[in-house]
Amino acid sequence: MNETVVSYLSQAPGYALLVEKLSEFFGFDAEGFVTFLIFALVCFVVVNVMSAIGGLGTYAERKISADLQMRQGPNRVGPFGILQFLADGVKMLGKEDILPAQADRFLFLIAPLMCMVGVFASLAVVPFSSGLTLTNLNIGVFYLIGVSSLVGVGIFLGGYAANSKWSMLGGMRGASQIISYEVPVTLSILAIVLMTGSLSFNVITDAQGGLPHQWYIFHNPFTFIAFFVLFIGALAETNRAPFDLPEAESELVSGYHTEFSGMRFAFFALAEYVEVFVVCGVVAALFLGGYKVPFDLGNGELIAKTFPAIHPMLAKQIGNVLQLKAFILKTLALYYVVIWIRWTLPRLRVDSLMVLCWKYLTPIALFNLVGCAVWLWAFEGKSMWAMIFKSGVAAAGGHH
Amino acid sequence: MFLKIMFILAATMTLGGAFLTAYTKNLMHACVYLLVSLFGVAGLYATLGADFLAATQLVVYAGGVVILMLFAIMLTGGIQNFVNKFGLDKVPSMGNGKTYTIAGLSMIITAFIIMKVLAPIFKTNVQGELPAFASTVEEIGVLLVTDHVLAFEISSILLLGALVGAAVISRPRRGK
Amino acid sequence: MSSHNLDVYMPVLILMAFAAIMVLGALLVGKLVRPQNPTELKNAPYECGEAPIGSAWSNFNVRFYVVALVFIIFDVEGALMFPVATVFKKFVEIGEGGAILGTFLIFVSVLVLGIVYCWKKGDLDWVKSYQVDTDYNEEKDK
Repeated sequence: MNETVVSYLSQAPGYALLVEKLSEFFGFDAEGFVTFLIFALVCFVVVNVMSAIGGLGTYAERKISADLQMRQGPNRVGPFGILQFLADGVKMLGKEDILPAQADRFLFLIAPLMCMVGVFASLAVVPFSSGLTLTNLNIGVFYLIGVSSLVGVGIFLGGYAANSKWSMLGGMRGASQIISYEVPVTLSILAIVLMTGSLSFNVITDAQGGLPHQWYIFHNPFTFIAFFVLFIGALAETNRAPFDLPEAESELVSGYHTEFSGMRFAFFALAEYVEVFVVCGVVAALFLGGYKVPFDLGNGELIAKTFPAIHPMLAKQIGNVLQLKAFILKTLALYYVVIWIRWTLPRLRVDSLMVLCWKYLTPIALFNLVGCAVWLWAFEGKSMWAMIFKSGVAAAGGHH
Repeated sequence: MFLKIMFILAATMTLGGAFLTAYTKNLMHACVYLLVSLFGVAGLYATLGADFLAATQLVVYAGGVVILMLFAIMLTGGIQNFVNKFGLDKVPSMGNGKTYTIAGLSMIITAFIIMKVLAPIFKTNVQGELPAFASTVEEIGVLLVTDHVLAFEISSILLLGALVGAAVISRPRRGK
Repeated sequence: MSSHNLDVYMPVLILMAFAAIMVLGALLVGKLVRPQNPTELKNAPYECGEAPIGSAWSNFNVRFYVVALVFIIFDVEGALMFPVATVFKKFVEIGEGGAILGTFLIFVSVLVLGIVYCWKKGDLDWVKSYQVDTDYNEEKDK
């Protein structure tokens, strides 16, 4: 319960020595200080890597859209134009910071800040691997729903602060869309919580296996539907097409960030792309086995057994890297699908958006929830495949 | 150490946010400060070991109630119209530095008197060990389906009433 | 010992601080390099070339408010269902699943009742059809 990246690293042989040495050096118990130091370091790395992934997200978006439309896409800065996002960042930094005369100066600063804080705070519980989860809170899933709702407030305030009609419409739409789709998303997550009996991301991931038939998406028919409900809801919550009504460029100019220029706009964009990654990661962790590697290679025991020469801690590290790769791979696959959908489907109308949420997704999600509960009770949590296998064995046995 | 830092941070957020909410004349700013205050309360719950309650505070208040308030402000026309249709101020006057100073001092004095009176009662309440971090979610869940199952069911009926009420007030009047 | 337990919340605070530092830092650094020559026209809100009339902070439709209201109700339902969902599996394992399932189903069905009511009354439609109905009826009366 409640493991963190520090409690994982403290298993390493050097950790106790380091704490002891530092305690001697400072003259007080340095354990809290070391904990803070490791957390700060790992958080720093995670924040930077995530910002880079968010930046690369904008590059991927343009490159994939170019690919789908038979164009070249960015190809000047760096190999294949991969450094385009850095060039964009530098350009944004040098852009004039326009503050509309009628705007609310305080909220104009708070809105992008709130989006960034909400998204980055949600990184704390994303299960990158069994070791590298910043903090495995008992209430992980629920915490994530809570802090990510800050983004909705940020988008609304962004629309409000500029005092422009386009922004205001975009902000109102954005906030109402985000809160509406939070209902089916919460209900779908609830179905998985029901199957696992825990709110912690790592426990949910560990309840699944590395191979596809052990994932929750194929556990039973209800979770299969719940996956799609959650994915559609996640698209809407991150304002991605076909649900990008808050920034519908053909009708609202640019929606809630019409009046934002330079770095303030950059932070809205960064928050959006990082949030897409987080959401894809959450979907992968809940339904696609998260960081699980096939044949339990991830916990390092098999590696340690096969090669007795290497240190068990090292074997564990190798397993962790494999887990990290599995998680990133699944997440990026979903990320690709998100971008693919954006450049394939046309935008919804605002009334059909609400109808989709309240008349289709919410009842379906409720039905799934009840279905999962009944399944768990009737079949004691066995998966579809286990039962098919069992009945197959019984049938085969019956003939003999 | 970290417990103290977190408590001080959360308490400052709660009190500061609450004070600014009362102080500011701009309704939207008041909402943002209220959000800060609600976050602080969530932090206080977290320091007490009530992790589920802290998350609920975030989900329901920070996510839902603040958005509802923002929408309610937009429903009444933002902060632009300071006077309602009866000619009354929507935003009542907030006082000035003198009133705040006097109110603050009198509040402190009152608080000290009350604390002095109540001190014998709280004497036994020494700061003990927090309960080990067993998940409070499960305890709440077990209690909800065993001892408090009636409250659990009745709350759903209460929410049904709220849902129907929300639907009814939103309907345009079919006036002749 | 008690302070050790709270360390799990440390990354949350650190990440929030990092986000704030990033936003404020980038804006401060940008201040050194970016140009700053505002004009009246540049600072006007963008209205596709037209001169803006009035403020954007005007009355909005009540339906946004209602969506938020309905959302809060579902939010509270979710907050109540999460702990029950967490312990459901444990009750199934000790063979008491049926009773808990019944409790859970009653709770959900009351919720479904509310949705069905709103659906029947047309409150889930974004564009309400009452206006059309009354116009149609009035024409019929004539």
